[in-house]
Amino acid sequence: MKKVNDASSGKRVMELVRNNAVPIMFIIISAIFIPMAGLTPGYLVDEIVTRMGRNLFLVLCLLFPIMAGMGLNFAMTLGAMGAEFAIILVADWQIWGIPGVVLAMILSIPFSALLGILCGTLQNMAKGREMIISYIMNYFISGCYLMVVLYMMGPIIPIKHASIMLPRGLGIRNTVSLLNMRQCLDDLLAIRVGGVKIPVLTFILVALLCLFIVWFRRTKLGQDMRAVGQDMQVAKDAGINVDRTRIISVVMSTVFAGFGMVIYLQNIGNLPTYTGHSQIGMFCIAALLIGGASVEKASIGNAFLGVILFHLMFIVAPKAGAFITGDSMVGEYFRVFMSYGIITIALIMYETKKRMNKSRAGRELAEAQKREEGAK
Amino acid sequence: MGTKNNAVTLEKSHFQVMLEDFGVPRLMIAGFLLALFIITPFIGINPVRQITNIINRFSWNGVLVLAMVPMIHSGCGLNFGIPLGILAGLLGGTMSIQFGFERFGAPVCFLMAVVIATPFAILLGGGYGWLLNKIKGGEMMIATYVGFSSISFMCMGWLLLPYTAATMVYGLSGNGLRPTISLDGYYGQVLADFLKIRIGRLEIPTGSLLVFVLLAFLMWAFLHTKTGTAMTAVGSNPTFARAAGINVDRIRTLSVVMSTWLGAVGILIYQQGFGFLQLYTAPNNMTMPTVAAILIGGALVNKASISNVIIGTILFQGIVTMTPTVMNTLIHMDMSEVVRQIVSNGMILYALTRKTEGSK
Amino acid sequence: MKLKRRVAFILLTVLMLAAIAAWMMVIGRGHTVYLDNKTLEDYQGQEYKAYERVVVTVKGEEVAKLDKRDRGMSVWIGQNFEMTLEITEKKGDEPVVKEVSVKLPYSVDGIVINLPAYLAGLPEEAWYSEFVPMVKEEPDEEEPSIGDDFGLEGDLGLEGELGAGDI
Repeated sequence: MKKVNDASSGKRVMELVRNNAVPIMFIIISAIFIPMAGLTPGYLVDEIVTRMGRNLFLVLCLLFPIMAGMGLNFAMTLGAMGAEFAIILVADWQIWGIPGVVLAMILSIPFSALLGILCGTLQNMAKGREMIISYIMNYFISGCYLMVVLYMMGPIIPIKHASIMLPRGLGIRNTVSLLNMRQCLDDLLAIRVGGVKIPVLTFILVALLCLFIVWFRRTKLGQDMRAVGQDMQVAKDAGINVDRTRIISVVMSTVFAGFGMVIYLQNIGNLPTYTGHSQIGMFCIAALLIGGASVEKASIGNAFLGVILFHLMFIVAPKAGAFITGDSMVGEYFRVFMSYGIITIALIMYETKKRMNKSRAGRELAEAQKREEGAK
Repeated sequence: MGTKNNAVTLEKSHFQVMLEDFGVPRLMIAGFLLALFIITPFIGINPVRQITNIINRFSWNGVLVLAMVPMIHSGCGLNFGIPLGILAGLLGGTMSIQFGFERFGAPVCFLMAVVIATPFAILLGGGYGWLLNKIKGGEMMIATYVGFSSISFMCMGWLLLPYTAATMVYGLSGNGLRPTISLDGYYGQVLADFLKIRIGRLEIPTGSLLVFVLLAFLMWAFLHTKTGTAMTAVGSNPTFARAAGINVDRIRTLSVVMSTWLGAVGILIYQQGFGFLQLYTAPNNMTMPTVAAILIGGALVNKASISNVIIGTILFQGIVTMTPTVMNTLIHMDMSEVVRQIVSNGMILYALTRKTEGSK
Repeated sequence: MKLKRRVAFILLTVLMLAAIAAWMMVIGRGHTVYLDNKTLEDYQGQEYKAYERVVVTVKGEEVAKLDKRDRGMSVWIGQNFEMTLEITEKKGDEPVVKEVSVKLPYSVDGIVINLPAYLAGLPEEAWYSEFVPMVKEEPDEEEPSIGDDFGLEGDLGLEGELGAGDI
């Protein structure tokens, strides 16, 4: 009797391991790397808390398109670009501190929403390839963003302060200082626990978004979104406007990504005008996947765990790489490789599963047909 | 009355079909390029020099764009995984230098680069093809990330592999390859200088063009063999192909291996023209332009021909070389990078969202 | 009916956001205030002498200790600038503490206030001037490099000798 119990619990453990293979792998990698890196625990905790405040909001905004079955939203960068555009304007108008942050968030909404609608519409035109569309979209809009920021800011979009412009009087500098906005959200209500600064207000904002997500899942629209994610055809038959629901999910993602980007930038304290958004999408998606999410299923817990594990690796990898090979560059490349590798593996797993389900469904259908014929 | 109306709509739809056939974006790009050409003499740019530039660029990129063809034919979609082939080519190129084949002359050095790259390309392509067979339907996204991961993996490789040739490794520490390696004294310009034609300011790198023509002809011939037609069949209708007794997976793998090998050869040809080996993250900058070029040439996600390759490369490279010069003289600003990014990605978006390319 | 309610709801949200944005623009406007402890010569025939020493405290933080002919600086969000001054008028005097609030003009980034003139209660034109930053001539390093980006090129310091600008 007891043996059976053992076996079943052993099975359960195996199941658990299989379902969480990716986070477990990363925990092991981190466990190996941390001693090699030789960083103090205090430093590590401080860094991770900071990075959680900085990135969680951005990672959470990926959940909406996954809910609607549209996969990983590489186009969340569109929201980031909207936010960067808004923040350039706010910096030029010299709106500082928390009012500046709030204004940048509000100002980013129209840009992010518009880009989100555009992206969602294109994705509806190519159902089944949402991810590649969102991926290319991110480069395409990035080009448009460059066009606007590099050539139109100044002559067409008025910029008052020469200090944020390129010396030629056209376009914005490589970095825009946000010194007067720097960590204003993080510092308000911040508490220190044993030398670790905890940005309470930022975490409150993250918590609000989490609550919103939990609440949203239960609303009519959230239910519709999940139905669309399960099966578009069934949802359509049930009278759900599939295209509209999908567009809404993308728009929500980009708008929240815009907010997240503002939080991110106020933490960093300056805006890397031309490179700020380029890595955001990749890192956020990698973080979410490392947290154990897959292309069609992701939870808030995945986002939290993922950010912690991903950034743990991110911090220790260069030092560990330097320890192993004597060259810190190897570690830098290693972390980039891990980010890309994890996305690749997640995508492969998703596609094989999809294909397996499809072929199983096909087989079942064939069998049913055969049975029917036999009955005749 | 009714029939007349009917005829009008018919004619209109005929015109629309023609337009659709050529593609609005392609028309726009061709028109834009033409306009650039027309204004060149008026703003003091020598058009002959521009033509030389475009021909040169064409000779660099032609084979890379050609590498897209087999995978599109077999229904694997646009090969965003071309960096895999490029990495094989780079391995071949660096090893050829490492082993000192330049002693036997530049052509041997280049040839050996191709020879060494071949097994890598076949191996990588084979694995990549096997992977793509597992995930039919999601090829493009995964190809993209296979490309990224392999590039970042090789970034570590370039640092750690035991290369020693003095011209390639970092001078100070002596380990790790430099990001940019000059091919002077190795196989730089080896094809371009072969039978080079000079008419006034017009220079034609005959050798590179001949290699492109040869490879393009072989590709064309291959597509007309039994295996080639089977490949097209797999691409256009896999169910039918399977019913006809074609081993779909094998054909697809073959197409991926071909594509990867052409990518390897393509990058070697590109570099001999460009004059430098670019390692680390540089291969990544080749993907989008290459994919965009064949799409501008009028290829669809599952249909491409040699003429698409030629037209597309000329149009895309034309835009890339002409815009900066014209823009610079007109408004003293270099907007080429931005224009290139918008045009190439816009083109890919257009191709991906086109309704006509069938269901999949 | 339902549609009407939705439109009304959306309109209301947009209006509310616009109102918040406008409010933020008013209360969030940042200024840099420069405080001069300088003698104002010959204003309508009178001279206003610089103080021996002024200690400026803004929001409980000491921002400047100004001797004669010194200039101090403080940043301020909003238009009602408040500071506490600890003024020593002549050598050996007991310092006098004064609470001062100044109305700042919305559209000006840098504001220079001449303290002796301001504290003497003179009209605005006497103590107020706009700070015009020197335009720094910087080397032309700022041509941003763009491309299909990958990895941490900026951080890696591995850019090729060519700048790897070519495709």
